[in-house]
Amino acid sequence: MNKKMPTITVEFQPTGRRIDIEHGETLLHTAQLAGTDLVAACSGIGICGTCLVRVVSGETTLPTLSELDLLDSEKIKAGYRLACQCIPLSDTRVEVPPESLPAGQKLQLEGWGGEIKLVPAISAIDLFLSPPTLHDLKSDYTRLKDALKQLGLKDLSADYQVLTSMSERIRNQNWSLRVAIRSSTETGQIVNILPANSGIFGLAVDIGSTKLAIYLVNLETGATVAQKGVANPQISFGEDVISRIAFANKGIKNRELLQKRLIEILNQSIIELCQSSNCTPEQIVEAVLVGNTAIHHLVTFLPVQQLGAAPYVAAISDPLELRARDLGLNIAPGALVYFPAIIAGYVGADHTSALLATRFSQSNRIRVLIDIGTNTEISLGIGEKIYSCSTASGPAFEGAHIHDGMRAAPGAIEKVQLTSEQCKVVTVGGIPPVGICGTGVLQAISELLRNEIITPQGTLRKNCPGVRFQDGRGGEYLLVPAAQTGHGRDIVITRKDINEIQLAKGAIRAGIEILLSHGGISSEEVEEWVIAGAFGTYLNLESAIQIGMFPKVPLDRFHQVGNAAGTGAKQMLLSLDERSAATQITQRVEYIELTIYPDFTQQFVKHMNFDIE
Amino acid sequence: MNEILRAIYSSIIDGEQKVTTAKVQEALDQGTEPSAILNEGMVAAMAEVGKLFEEGEYFVPEMLVAARAMQSGLAMLKPYLVKADVKSSGKVVAGTVKGDLHDIGKNLVCMMLEGSAFEVIDLGSDVDPDKFVEAVHQTNADIVAMSALLTTTMPNMKVTIEALKAAGLRDKVKVLVGGAPLTQQYANEIGADGYAPDASRAVATAKSLIAA
Repeated sequence: MNKKMPTITVEFQPTGRRIDIEHGETLLHTAQLAGTDLVAACSGIGICGTCLVRVVSGETTLPTLSELDLLDSEKIKAGYRLACQCIPLSDTRVEVPPESLPAGQKLQLEGWGGEIKLVPAISAIDLFLSPPTLHDLKSDYTRLKDALKQLGLKDLSADYQVLTSMSERIRNQNWSLRVAIRSSTETGQIVNILPANSGIFGLAVDIGSTKLAIYLVNLETGATVAQKGVANPQISFGEDVISRIAFANKGIKNRELLQKRLIEILNQSIIELCQSSNCTPEQIVEAVLVGNTAIHHLVTFLPVQQLGAAPYVAAISDPLELRARDLGLNIAPGALVYFPAIIAGYVGADHTSALLATRFSQSNRIRVLIDIGTNTEISLGIGEKIYSCSTASGPAFEGAHIHDGMRAAPGAIEKVQLTSEQCKVVTVGGIPPVGICGTGVLQAISELLRNEIITPQGTLRKNCPGVRFQDGRGGEYLLVPAAQTGHGRDIVITRKDINEIQLAKGAIRAGIEILLSHGGISSEEVEEWVIAGAFGTYLNLESAIQIGMFPKVPLDRFHQVGNAAGTGAKQMLLSLDERSAATQITQRVEYIELTIYPDFTQQFVKHMNFDIE
Repeated sequence: MNEILRAIYSSIIDGEQKVTTAKVQEALDQGTEPSAILNEGMVAAMAEVGKLFEEGEYFVPEMLVAARAMQSGLAMLKPYLVKADVKSSGKVVAGTVKGDLHDIGKNLVCMMLEGSAFEVIDLGSDVDPDKFVEAVHQTNADIVAMSALLTTTMPNMKVTIEALKAAGLRDKVKVLVGGAPLTQQYANEIGADGYAPDASRAVATAKSLIAA
């Protein structure tokens, strides 16, 4: 290839698309080239303001007059720009706010819900108080407590914030009330005073490194009334948790920023969820948040520095109950947020939650749970014992570090079928492809293997149709030619992409093999393989076995359960029994640190190869 | 190159550990010069492996199996090299920095260096700055090679460099750094003498540091 002018790399979040461009291109054009669709209602002449983006890092041209016209100074100070006006001058990272994207990303939300008994932390009591008269001068609070005492609820206290608005509320509601009481402790506490007949709701959140799954749950029926998937805004401060820890290590301000951005998106999502369900954030009287250990610590203001260096220990691993308002979460004034117990520095409360949802509390079968993400957590349950480990599978399955990789947004190739005649692809949203997401890459590589286009070592075979060697870097396979793509450029699988998948699946398989050998059993003896997480739910099992990521066992032993961590969070929201079951699970876990496990390197290297059985 | 050296050479490139050890034994039995086995068999093979890596033909797995094969042959050859007083390319103290347990990349660098006739003192992972200093003291090393795989642990490279300065050793050794989150810019910032993005180029950089 001929040498061109020096190029600039622009990265778009949250789609994860990266692209090299020449100097002088606007961000809008760059986004279009990269296949990241921005809404540009005026088609880029700088008058509508719909292509709003935020420049997170990198140098750009100064705001134009159109931008100064359309954006207020606050926004400009915060890095907001109009993509059609802004030209990057150096490598640039750009955050695309949800409103600037035409369609939501495909975020996986369904979990494996099982029937659970409702044992909520909050009960709602309906009351009618007789108003005070000149002959009945009891204070409002005493009046309320007396009424509750008559119902057998003694020794109640009320959250201070509830008290400050109590008198006004009681009168506004004509003395007819619904009182939300938290009774998990010996002495109950009033967490909110609501209008009569108000429903009470809970919030369950699974905070992943790249995305959040948020559920609004009716606490009286147990039904999920609304749910939402949003990108984790912390991604602008680092793709993986280690880089976010490094960012947090630079100062307390950074730590506050990471916390604040996350709470902001939660508060915004809460408003949207409530609007769609005809309720108010006031009616949300309890929340359960789960996430990996680093995310958990960042949300709760716990220190993360010690998580960034060996031996990677958590500050606190016990379950936590914190006041929502102390975290900045705008729900009922006295509401608490429950954070379940943590297993280890890199096996967090999200895994505890996933183990709960997939019934590892019952110990009668030999089972494996694999939750695939940037870090993949694996657990093996044998009788009373649970062995857990975490393995650095990297972001390849999220579409990062892959030549044409992207997240599962519209236009991402998610399925690939290869025959000697043709290559068929299916994209998210069924539109012309602009990149490939994790499930697509996995299936593409498995298809290339099956058709013997790549060797068991991962090398592309010369002289195979579609294989080309242009720049002496291991070659590439042409998946979709430019004429059929949405952005007019070829979509390829490179030798380096194959290697990224080799590293990822080698790490996962090594983790599996070490747990099995530590537990003294073989893969055939495992009765059930539970695969959790968004990527895990959409992945093609046959492909995963073909490339050797999972052992070759009958397909009916696999269960792809979706967002188990989110489901577990909902269960803990609905039942105090589930919370104690989760705590008990963590007490049964033996954590295994893979990086110092004697056999790890050997297993890792062995399973980087593709074994064609 | 004679037949047996060629067999050693290709067995290393193909990562056939058993063939390598058998052929090294055979070569020694035949009375082949240890330095010829080292240079024409092993060093040449690892140079080819490095070239294949840089061209994208080989990736980490192939490199690791090749390096393993080379290392097992080298272990057999070592006593003979000592006896024949074959000079090493230089002495390297290597380790993954404090707080970091990742050692695959570091091990690969160590093996590639050995495959280029360097003498390597591997301190392992999670290595305290003082341990680097002590090792440089004791061995009179030419190069300190540090690895870090985490953004959170790479600042410990600078801490180690400061410890070398404080011990008055900084002028006596060259510092080579590498690892996934590192860049040339970062290496410059912390005052390292060399940076290598991968194991193959670590060898080239180590050689140029010795020559400088």
